[in-house]
Amino acid sequence: MTTPLLEIRDLSARYGHVHALKPTSITVAEGELVTVLGPNGAGKSTLLRAVTRLTPGPGTILFQGQDVSALPTHRLSELGIIMVQEGRGLFSEMTVRENLILGGYNAGGDAGELSARMERVFTLFPRLKERLDQTASLMSGGEQQMLAIGRALMAGPKLLMLDEPSLGLAPRVAAEILETLGELNREGLGILLVEQKAPLALRLAQRVYVLSLGRVVAELPSHEIKSHHDLARYYLH
Amino acid sequence: MIDAVQLVQNLVNGIGLGLIYGLVGIGFCVIYNASGIVNFAQGVFVMLGGMICATLLARFGLPIWLAAILTVPIVALIGVVMEVAVVRPMWTRGASIFAIILATLASQMLLEQVTLLTLGDQPRTFNSFTPGGPLMVGGVAVPYQLFWVLGCGALMVGGLWLFFTRTRMGRALRACSQNAEAASLLGIPVRRMMMLSFALSAALGAIAGILITPSQITAYNIGTPFGVNGFIAAIIGGFGSAGGAVAGGLLLGVLQALAIAFLGASFKNVAALSVLLVVLLVFPQGVFAGLKTLRASRR
Repeated sequence: MTTPLLEIRDLSARYGHVHALKPTSITVAEGELVTVLGPNGAGKSTLLRAVTRLTPGPGTILFQGQDVSALPTHRLSELGIIMVQEGRGLFSEMTVRENLILGGYNAGGDAGELSARMERVFTLFPRLKERLDQTASLMSGGEQQMLAIGRALMAGPKLLMLDEPSLGLAPRVAAEILETLGELNREGLGILLVEQKAPLALRLAQRVYVLSLGRVVAELPSHEIKSHHDLARYYLH
Repeated sequence: MIDAVQLVQNLVNGIGLGLIYGLVGIGFCVIYNASGIVNFAQGVFVMLGGMICATLLARFGLPIWLAAILTVPIVALIGVVMEVAVVRPMWTRGASIFAIILATLASQMLLEQVTLLTLGDQPRTFNSFTPGGPLMVGGVAVPYQLFWVLGCGALMVGGLWLFFTRTRMGRALRACSQNAEAASLLGIPVRRMMMLSFALSAALGAIAGILITPSQITAYNIGTPFGVNGFIAAIIGGFGSAGGAVAGGLLLGVLQALAIAFLGASFKNVAALSVLLVVLLVFPQGVFAGLKTLRASRR
């Protein structure tokens, strides 16, 4: 059996007295796109925050078979675990160029590597090249999301985790961004995508986890969701 | 009535003092840019710079350049200790920024008292870096030390601008202040960056203290007035911009000089605090950012 890219065993997290994520186990295989669905307050964002140790809690996190549970957040980026936060998490007073350069912080100042990664980002999001000297906060929501994903790609991820990347975007822009994620996945990038209601995300995903009240209540291949009437009604329409 | 020569002399003195306020203001900006924290112990770094340098000169007979080179890393180390012992534990436990700011103020008082106990309460000074002078220009005395302050100030502003906009570490420091979580997710060691910002800020304060001591003397309790005036300079400049802090410091120094000339020395602090009040009321984002917004809105 091949080692999963990411394996989480009994990971949980709390905010004070609120047990936002109860012991949860999920896996993402190499080159797999996994979607995590669930209503507001289900623990989806907490799951990503727990994996990246922004909200640390007990449990085991294995990345390519290596136990990374005790590593601080900034060390995870060096291994290739990169997250795009809900709300994009841009350095809003900095330019597009500065955001992208900072995305490649773990390249250690290697100009050639940074330049190659930036060209790759411009291939996926040509609009960023046109806006290089624009302040991030002055861009449209769609462009900001492209920048957030572009900046994450500058970090050279092996696993890209995204927290509701389509939130607040026009359907056409959201579709464009999710299609790009699909393209990245087809090239072999492992993706863990958190969404609330996303028919397109389900079309792209190979597997789906459904979270409710901090627990995984369903795990199934994405094409099977249609046969689960209650899930299909909630997440496909 | 004050004569023209005396007025120009006051203005020259005001420019010298204003530049120092600006340099102290830069120290505020460095930590604020990296962490969002206003370090109210900034003035104490100025005091320590002067006091330690004066002590090294008096006790060990070192040349001024060597004493200055030794003083700056010593004060930077004190900045690191303050970050590790006071700020970091509070930051890690999720204390509010207000609580951390208050703790920096407490640190200022503590460091002042430690200085009083170890180095005594006597004011200290040392000779100007360049002997001789002052330079007489039409009856106005321009001390050589002013040129040192001008030169070092320009170097510091230019150097910091290059550091924050052109270097990997400088950009990472700015990233930490804008979104520490996002910075951390990209591999930036946020805690180490905050420690670096305290070291850098303390070093800048120490340089300001060494520059001002030949003309202003130093003592264990001079940190508070320099800290307050540096803070006002940073606010006038829009808090966060090194160039803005220096411009704000110059404005403040000149206004204080005018207040001394026309109203008397006791009105010096009244002028400083009045300027702060007016700036906060009219341009809460700083004079320069406020004027920029005003110009943009008229277009």
